[in-house]
Amino acid sequence: MRLARALAVRAINLLLVLFLVLFLVVIIIGATGTSDKILMSMVREEVSTYRQVISRTITDPEALNKAVETYRQELIKAYGLDRPWYTRIGDMLMRIIVLDLGTSKSLQTFSGSNKVIDLIMERLPNTVLLVTTATVLTFLIGLFVGVKLATAIGSKLDRALTYFSAISYALPTWWTGIIFILVFYFYLRIFPPGGMYSVPPPEGEFARFLDLLWHATLPIIVLVLATVGSSIYVTRTVVINIAQEDFVTVARAKGLSERIVRWRYIARVAAPPILTQLILGLAGSIGGAILTETVFGWPGMGLLFYQAITSGDEALILGLVYVFTLVYVVARFILEVLYVILDPRVRI
Amino acid sequence: MISSRKEAIQIFLSSTVSKLGIILLVVLLVFSIYALTAFPPDYGKLIWNNPKAWENYPKSAPPAWINMFAPFKHFEHKILTSSEPVVFKAPDGTTKMIYYFDLDYTADEFPTFLSMSVKGVKYWKSPPVIAVKLMQPNGKVIDIMSFAVSPPRSEEKPPYIRFSKEPLTLKIDSDTSVWRSISAFLKENYGLNLSPSKIGENPERFLFGSHEEGNFSTPMKGKYRFEVVATLYDDKDSIDKISLVLGGSVYGLLGTDVIGRDIAIGVLLGFPTSLFIGIVTSVIVTLIGGLLGIVGGYVGGKTDEVIQRISDVVYNLPLLPLTIFLIFLMGSSIWNIVLILIIFGWPGLTILTRSIALQLRESQFIEAAKAFGSSSRRIIFKHMLPQVTPFIVAQMIFYVPTFILLEAALSFLGLGDPSLPTWGQMLELGFRNGAIYMGLWWWIIPPGIMIVLTAFTFVLIALGMEPVVNPRLRRG
Repeated sequence: MRLARALAVRAINLLLVLFLVLFLVVIIIGATGTSDKILMSMVREEVSTYRQVISRTITDPEALNKAVETYRQELIKAYGLDRPWYTRIGDMLMRIIVLDLGTSKSLQTFSGSNKVIDLIMERLPNTVLLVTTATVLTFLIGLFVGVKLATAIGSKLDRALTYFSAISYALPTWWTGIIFILVFYFYLRIFPPGGMYSVPPPEGEFARFLDLLWHATLPIIVLVLATVGSSIYVTRTVVINIAQEDFVTVARAKGLSERIVRWRYIARVAAPPILTQLILGLAGSIGGAILTETVFGWPGMGLLFYQAITSGDEALILGLVYVFTLVYVVARFILEVLYVILDPRVRI
Repeated sequence: MISSRKEAIQIFLSSTVSKLGIILLVVLLVFSIYALTAFPPDYGKLIWNNPKAWENYPKSAPPAWINMFAPFKHFEHKILTSSEPVVFKAPDGTTKMIYYFDLDYTADEFPTFLSMSVKGVKYWKSPPVIAVKLMQPNGKVIDIMSFAVSPPRSEEKPPYIRFSKEPLTLKIDSDTSVWRSISAFLKENYGLNLSPSKIGENPERFLFGSHEEGNFSTPMKGKYRFEVVATLYDDKDSIDKISLVLGGSVYGLLGTDVIGRDIAIGVLLGFPTSLFIGIVTSVIVTLIGGLLGIVGGYVGGKTDEVIQRISDVVYNLPLLPLTIFLIFLMGSSIWNIVLILIIFGWPGLTILTRSIALQLRESQFIEAAKAFGSSSRRIIFKHMLPQVTPFIVAQMIFYVPTFILLEAALSFLGLGDPSLPTWGQMLELGFRNGAIYMGLWWWIIPPGIMIVLTAFTFVLIALGMEPVVNPRLRRG
């Protein structure tokens, strides 16, 4: 029962976040006149399709123009463009919630659709693949190295890793990516400069998978490097605190081996707070993905975001902000569930 | 908890990490102050982002010091400015001003171009005549060219002023009269018959080439001297400045970018902007976040509930997408960037301070203060604030690199303040122009290292603060 309640509270909190973002975004684009621009371009789009359709039946140009103009006026009324923006807040919210995000004015999917939602859905899996792999790797490396370090405070390795984590925190993901391309592509020629598959992609499932792996290696290393420092450092701090608790001393006094003390007594207790750090770092990972994808030309939502900014595509930017928040909220929830499973205190 | 401020400072300074951090911070501040004093505030708008100002510079040239590591010596780009001219009066009543430009030629290649700029000419009667000569290391002299400043226009009244705003740039090497002079020089000295148009293919070869092998294919190394003689026909006539530019393939300390901008200047100008955004944002965020946290934690009840809810939600927003969105809509001035970073930055601190304030509220000395009848305000500022300060300060320092990196990331995505040169923007331009795929490392590495170094400095100081605020970490 408590489990369900705990999860429900978290779900509600996250939904609140989602709605707040949505609300803020709608108000901002309304007040700045951006929503007018987006809606007008939707109207133009529909009007031009309409003109093509009816031009087959109406041949007289004057009658055609008149019909198109009437249709345009109807659309403007239907979208509420004749009213002030704040009367449209409800409509806009509804439209975004059902993922009716309008059309992009500069980009298209492979199949030729310029609907924002199609564009995003085409890119979403690529981003999820990249970020999930990197996050899992960061968590595992952080836990393993952090626990080792915490039981050897002040050792040479510990000090070296303190500096490493500081540098890792100070390293901008995107710049590391650029340097990696310079070294591993330009000078050494052992990794591709970017993209997700070779052009043309190799034949066969397995060869394709290897090709994907080859292209994903650098971006994933870059994402892990950017976050692993703080992950190690947090684990170390948490573990140092736990290692000074009485139950650990007792375990050692009982003559248990250091391995068992380290992994069964300390790491188990340390896992939930470390996961918390991971949860808090998730927003950062999403930001990291935008930059890493841009640098490596990885065809995910982050690269799409960059393309939307550079071409000033308002509808696409709006859609991406919403979907990014949505993805973030969902990922948060998955991690929170994991947390509840790991931490017995929440379950009882 | 710490017993005294003195002890806290002692603990802080006892670690190598903090010492290194402080040293780096001093270095960063020195560079920032130098950048602010040596360059005018509108340098970014007027010169840095103005391609015309960089016309005389080589494009995408690596730093000059690569010559130390390569057997082949590149020609280093040179902008020669003369010392004070030697002035003497000729018997015919004219005044001669002679400018000397010395050049020590050590490179294995020829300059890519040769040009002269003349700034601020004022004359009263006849237009001044400017003649250029080159003395080679072997003692031979080439009369390169001579030209007269444009004559007075009809109805123009003396003094006649020329090139006062934009200097006149003479491309010496593409002037046919120069080719003819060189042709005549070669005939006279070496008995060579080369047509001027043949010389025009690469005049530098004949100006700086060695005749020894007969074909001028390698430079004649040694000391050259340009002599520019300006003949003035009135005592009041004057010339502000004459300079010569020899186009090279390497430049300065850090080379140039695709527009020809000196990367060393860009890197230097990045210091104040980066530190400003990092420190100012962090301080304001700390003030807002810390105060809300203490107030919420101490007062409790409805106030606390409201503060907690809002900070919780804002803390859980995906920062970068929203920041990008807002700056895209509001425009990317430095003030907008700081404002938006503040809007999203404060809640982390509120959550932390609140939890400390909650613990403190229950402690005995606060209860004692309450029993004495102290006001809430007095308790918050006199009793709680000093206890919370070390945590807040540690967090504040830890936020500086966060904001520095965020600004750099925004700049890299093309959302930086266009009137200020920043490291992120330099990298953005480099990235967009394919600097990595062409191996222009001098354009990509220095700005990035500066970002890392600046962020690293504050991370080190924050790490040094940690044992001060968390005694359990003090043992190691």
